[in-house]
Amino acid sequence: MIGIDELDYYALLEIPRSATRAEVERAYRLSQQTYAEGSLALYSVFESSDAAAIRERLDEAYRILSDPECRSEYDESRSTADSPAISTPLSTPGDLASDPEPPARETATATRARVVEEFDSFEDDGRGDFDGLRLRRTRLFRGYEIEEIADVTKVSGTHLRNIEDENFVELPADVYVRGFVTAYARTIGLDPKIVVPSYMARLQASRGGDQRSRFLDRH
Amino acid sequence: MTVTSATIPKVPTIPTMAPAGQASDPHRPPSRGPRLLAIGSGKGGVGKTFVTANLATALARLGKRVVVVDADLDGANLHTCLGVPAPRRSLADFVSEREDDLGKLLVDTPLANLKLIGATHGNLADAQPSHLRRVRLLRGLRQLDADVVLIDLGAGADAAVLDYFLVSDDGILVLQPEPTSVENAYSFLRAAFYRRMRLAMVGHGVRQLVTLAMDQRNERGIRTPLDLLREIEATDTVEARRFVETMRLFRPRLIVNSARTAEDVKLGFAVCSVCKKFFGIDAEYLGYVNYDDEARRSVSMRRPIVDLHRDADVSIYLQRIARKLVEGPLAQSSPASEASAAIDRRRQTGDEDRHSTANPGGFA
Repeated sequence: MIGIDELDYYALLEIPRSATRAEVERAYRLSQQTYAEGSLALYSVFESSDAAAIRERLDEAYRILSDPECRSEYDESRSTADSPAISTPLSTPGDLASDPEPPARETATATRARVVEEFDSFEDDGRGDFDGLRLRRTRLFRGYEIEEIADVTKVSGTHLRNIEDENFVELPADVYVRGFVTAYARTIGLDPKIVVPSYMARLQASRGGDQRSRFLDRH
Repeated sequence: MTVTSATIPKVPTIPTMAPAGQASDPHRPPSRGPRLLAIGSGKGGVGKTFVTANLATALARLGKRVVVVDADLDGANLHTCLGVPAPRRSLADFVSEREDDLGKLLVDTPLANLKLIGATHGNLADAQPSHLRRVRLLRGLRQLDADVVLIDLGAGADAAVLDYFLVSDDGILVLQPEPTSVENAYSFLRAAFYRRMRLAMVGHGVRQLVTLAMDQRNERGIRTPLDLLREIEATDTVEARRFVETMRLFRPRLIVNSARTAEDVKLGFAVCSVCKKFFGIDAEYLGYVNYDDEARRSVSMRRPIVDLHRDADVSIYLQRIARKLVEGPLAQSSPASEASAAIDRRRQTGDEDRHSTANPGGFA
């Protein structure tokens, strides 16, 4: 039977052997968050010493798999060993290792890859008009917290939240907002040339309406 | 010793149940009746009923003939989330053996192809069905004239809840990104896992070993499923192999409700990873539903939000999950039917009831 300490590096990071460098990076980042000290997902399952041991192994797996030379050596050493190409924890009793590979095991890892892929397929294609809601969805999907964007862009979190909530009344003059939205879009990997015009059109339509109503109020 | 699947004794299967109507889903074999989706949560108040009502509505809007069943006999309110007045006849009539035909308990909802079996007017003195009644209920649900049957389970992890979860084609667990919910979700999965294993094991000694492992402070020091498997391996390699096979077929699905941050969104992946590394099971992350005040308002207005505000963020996420349920690979017959078979076998031997009496809902 395979315990965590016996899993190969691919199984540890839950990636197939064909994983690209980017997939290795992504899997490692996700694992780091999952097994971080105080992680919500670990709560009540793993002891902190177990989690520390897992983190250590994840670091080791990443160190080897992210270096093409080390990875190639590792792959070679594994191909001569009798371990499966994609191993999953607790899926094969050690004394049954000579059994033919059950087809569902390939499926197990493939499924995780598929689920991640499906999530990706819901990701914004970055085209068309943008409003605050779409910006927020894309940000969440791409894994950015408001505070992280604020750190990078030096735009206050309050302004960023107001942009997402389309709280136009609380936002400063158009020229500033244009800059904020540009920085926001760039940080989460969207093209400002597509995002900014449509967002600013909404802002200006709203403000135009406000100004008109204020004008009517005065007269 | 090499053991092949051919050497493993076959688990008897329950008799095939003829469907009452022709399933409209082209991917689904017509002989299996509707697809059963059981929605549970380790903890109350995480939005399980809200998610169930909205998924049922979204599936109906996708053209499926849907029956949604309120199996939360202690806290029935699915009808409220769907905007249906408290039904006069409900699952409670089936439980108390006043009605045997589930079809007569179906209540219309505002959507023509969505029917409800409520759980109102129950007997407070004896709300939960007996094991035999649960088996009959599950058989009855499989015979309903529908494409999909969603079962809104009660909170917690008692034997009835676990059986519905295990016997359904898809067991879906709703959790919220907070420690109490995550802790209880794991407790639920742990209880479901061990119950599934105990039902799957044939040998009396091995079953006792699984029962022992349910006590997290057992004297043999079995802490994890891995420890348990090693103990079983030492006793019986055929049962060890069966254990591994059963584990592979146990594939709970997760929904994270009330997600507010990117970290919350990723919680589902993280829980799946922990399930794999700790339990060795492949849980699947179905998706997340964001936190939204509109959701709370929709409950106040007794309308599913996917009907009330179809374009709201929260509705989009719920509709996305519904599409995934419809478009995803349909559950293979093995997990559900094997669990059914195992429960059936226990029923025939009377073992289940004896255990339930000795240890009512008692999972560590």
